[in-house]
Amino acid sequence: MKRYLVRRVLWIIPVLVAVSLITFFLMHAVPGGPWDQEKKLSPEVIARLNQIYGLDQPVYMQYLNWIGGILQGNLGPSYVFKDRTVNDIIAGGIPVTIQLGIQAFILAVLVGLPLGIVAALGHNRWPDYVATGLSVVWIATPSFVLAIILIIVFSVDLKWFPVAGWEGPQTWVLPTIALAAFPIAVIARYTRASMLEVTRKDYVRTAQSKGITGRAVVYRHMIRNALIPVVTIMGPILAFLVTGSFIVEHVFAVPGVGRYYLSAITTRDYPLLMATTLIYAFAVAVLNLVVDILYAYIDPRIRYS
Amino acid sequence: MFMKKRLMATVGVVAVIATACGSSTASTAPSASTAASGAPASGSPAGSAAASASANANLADQQLLKIDLTNEPPTLDPDKAQDSTSIEVLNQIQRGLVYFDKDLKIVPEMAQSYDVSPDSKTLTFHLKDGLQYSNGDPILAKDFVYSIKRTADPRTAAPYAYVLCEIAGSDKLLGSSTCNTTTPTPKTDADIEAALANFGVSAPDDKTVVVQLNTPAAYFLDVLALWIAVPVQEKWITSPNATEAENYVSSGPFMLKEWTHNSKLVIVPNPKWTAGPGPTLTEVDMSMLNDPATAQASYEAGDLDMVLTPAADLRRVKDDPVLGPQVVDQAQAGIGYYDYNTVKGPTANKDFRIALTEAIDKQNLIDTTWGGTGAVANSMVMPGMQGYQPDLNPYPYNLDDAKKHMATALAALGKTSCADFGKLPFGYNTGADHENRVAYMAQQWTKAFGCQFDQVGLEWKVFLKRRQAGDFIISRDAWGADYPHPNNQLAGIFTCGGGNNSSQYCNKDFDALIAQAAAEPDPTKQTALYNQAQTMMVGDAPVIFLRFVVARYEIKPYVTNYFGTPGDSQLPGDKFFETIQIAKH
Repeated sequence: MKRYLVRRVLWIIPVLVAVSLITFFLMHAVPGGPWDQEKKLSPEVIARLNQIYGLDQPVYMQYLNWIGGILQGNLGPSYVFKDRTVNDIIAGGIPVTIQLGIQAFILAVLVGLPLGIVAALGHNRWPDYVATGLSVVWIATPSFVLAIILIIVFSVDLKWFPVAGWEGPQTWVLPTIALAAFPIAVIARYTRASMLEVTRKDYVRTAQSKGITGRAVVYRHMIRNALIPVVTIMGPILAFLVTGSFIVEHVFAVPGVGRYYLSAITTRDYPLLMATTLIYAFAVAVLNLVVDILYAYIDPRIRYS
Repeated sequence: MFMKKRLMATVGVVAVIATACGSSTASTAPSASTAASGAPASGSPAGSAAASASANANLADQQLLKIDLTNEPPTLDPDKAQDSTSIEVLNQIQRGLVYFDKDLKIVPEMAQSYDVSPDSKTLTFHLKDGLQYSNGDPILAKDFVYSIKRTADPRTAAPYAYVLCEIAGSDKLLGSSTCNTTTPTPKTDADIEAALANFGVSAPDDKTVVVQLNTPAAYFLDVLALWIAVPVQEKWITSPNATEAENYVSSGPFMLKEWTHNSKLVIVPNPKWTAGPGPTLTEVDMSMLNDPATAQASYEAGDLDMVLTPAADLRRVKDDPVLGPQVVDQAQAGIGYYDYNTVKGPTANKDFRIALTEAIDKQNLIDTTWGGTGAVANSMVMPGMQGYQPDLNPYPYNLDDAKKHMATALAALGKTSCADFGKLPFGYNTGADHENRVAYMAQQWTKAFGCQFDQVGLEWKVFLKRRQAGDFIISRDAWGADYPHPNNQLAGIFTCGGGNNSSQYCNKDFDALIAQAAAEPDPTKQTALYNQAQTMMVGDAPVIFLRFVVARYEIKPYVTNYFGTPGDSQLPGDKFFETIQIAKH
């Protein structure tokens, strides 16, 4: 297990290098650069800017310079936010994005799991229909639409929460709900399906015939086994939380890293773009690793070598 | 033992999940921004007594204005700013020798008076007494000189350096392409320093600023009112993290109090401001909402006091019983137009261009695709500005005449129908609601002449590159005035090889008229020359002018005493927030 862990961790490095290479060269291959704008800058200014930021060098040289900077922990300057470094920008945004992601994840698990269990236990009766109906709606609705609906209902009409921003717990509620909706639905569906399958297993029937009460059967035997496929889905869920945060952060004006990711692409802010891409690649890789490890703990049948 | 381990793991996970749920119970009252933190003007500036005396018991106790800045300002360094978000903030916290009044006329601001030499080439400014920055330092003449030179310095790579081309010695400093001269930019530090020393701004003493021009440019006072000419202390701007709120040195009626990046920006009255009346407001909270729909929702929920109406809501808010009365339509010194490619394809033929122009009912286009907001434009210089020619309209909507011109064009080009040219590339940028307009025009032209179009929607910067390369026969374009003078609207856009000339129009006579007009010291004669030039250019139909911008805003009824101008950056009255008062509500 330990060897597996070490191997997986080491594998992250080549993955990140590959991601950085592809991103860097793709980024430079796309037409348009950071200095292109409607009111054109004069050629002298453009030449000077290229010189200041090293964009007048060949692309591979720029990549090596960037790698050199990374190794010293310097993510570079921002081409758009001229008074700040990428390190500052990321440091300011990461805690917010992580907080939003964790809140959404916790909400998704806390609501999704019980919802799926209730649906399975109330199979083909009203709890099942309600839970499944909600899940279908939440899966089908894009987070953007859900976000706007939440704003209209809870902020504009009911005035329970502020519309946007990230200042205090009141502003945390709506973005968390908007981000958690899809994961709740997915977790609920998977839990329900998994529980239904487990109901038919022999060990459940054995437990029931031994006289164990219904609730004890559910808690002691069914849930843990049903959790296995659900843990599998956690990987993609976490990836969704990471990337889905772009839209939620944009609509709710949450000052996280997600907004920068989108804007860095349109403004061709290369260093910021590289940094945010790497962060997301790193996050997805690490989260997948965590899920795989968790998997091994939950299901003793799984052995990594 | 094994079972226990698994059980522990599961219990552990659940326990972590259960305990980590820090309950975020929402309080019922959605408090808008931190109103409590507003810094009351401690040592109220000398001028504010006059402002508050003017009215009133009708003023709200809390003079707080909440607006949306839409984006994080890329920079608050005055010499490097070019973005409307940066400029909106800079207009409040930094001021220069002169500024605009509510009619966009130039009035003295930091200068108490100025002299213009008989040849109109030397401007001498005399500073007011007792001017101070927000940190208590005196505002000295050399600070203005430093700031202007820094903007012009090639090493700063300031986007707005080009407005300084009229200053003597600019050709040695700013380079041939920027100022349309033949001298290249100096490369070495020694050359740059030498050129800076010869640059036509100087401070003979602490209270006098002298600007030397290389041509009598009557509009240069407008340039000196821009944010790039505000005084800047060298010791401040060269210190690390100079533009962070805790280090920021302001010279204007407001000062920067708080800047939470990507989240919120707060300005409060500057106690050291003495150059004019001080603000009645005690705080302006600026959020950064990015999404127009979110901003509209914020306004409707009461979290914002003013908002730009999103395109999708233009009609809805006008018809809404509550929002309708709060709608304010304001003309902006901006124009939407579409470039014809005057060197490639059928649009190189003048009759073809005239035919296309006469086939569009511009008012109908505005009503259909712009929600009815905006004024028809038939020329470039915007309403309210010197050089505006409302009667200049050589090619009004007239389908019969259009068809005649098309017939002439087709004959000259040896084709029988417009469709013979194949699919003409019609380029525009996506994500800015241009699809309808492009479709409308393409449809009109297809109906009238049978022309076929390839409507190419591209991502912003990709579109810019392709347009610049001349890939499109027709492409979407727009211009917003930097300062309210015809020179800014005509030179550079319609002069041969001009930096913003996307139609590649080139008429030497036009260029000559523009140069002559720029150097003409008599305002009446100058306007006549600009009119002549514009008439010539419009007659050549290098572009199809469509719409003078009218922006629709919603403003809460308790926001009073704002003065919207066509030169506003983002919101009405944002050239001078110091006039705004919040009425009781």
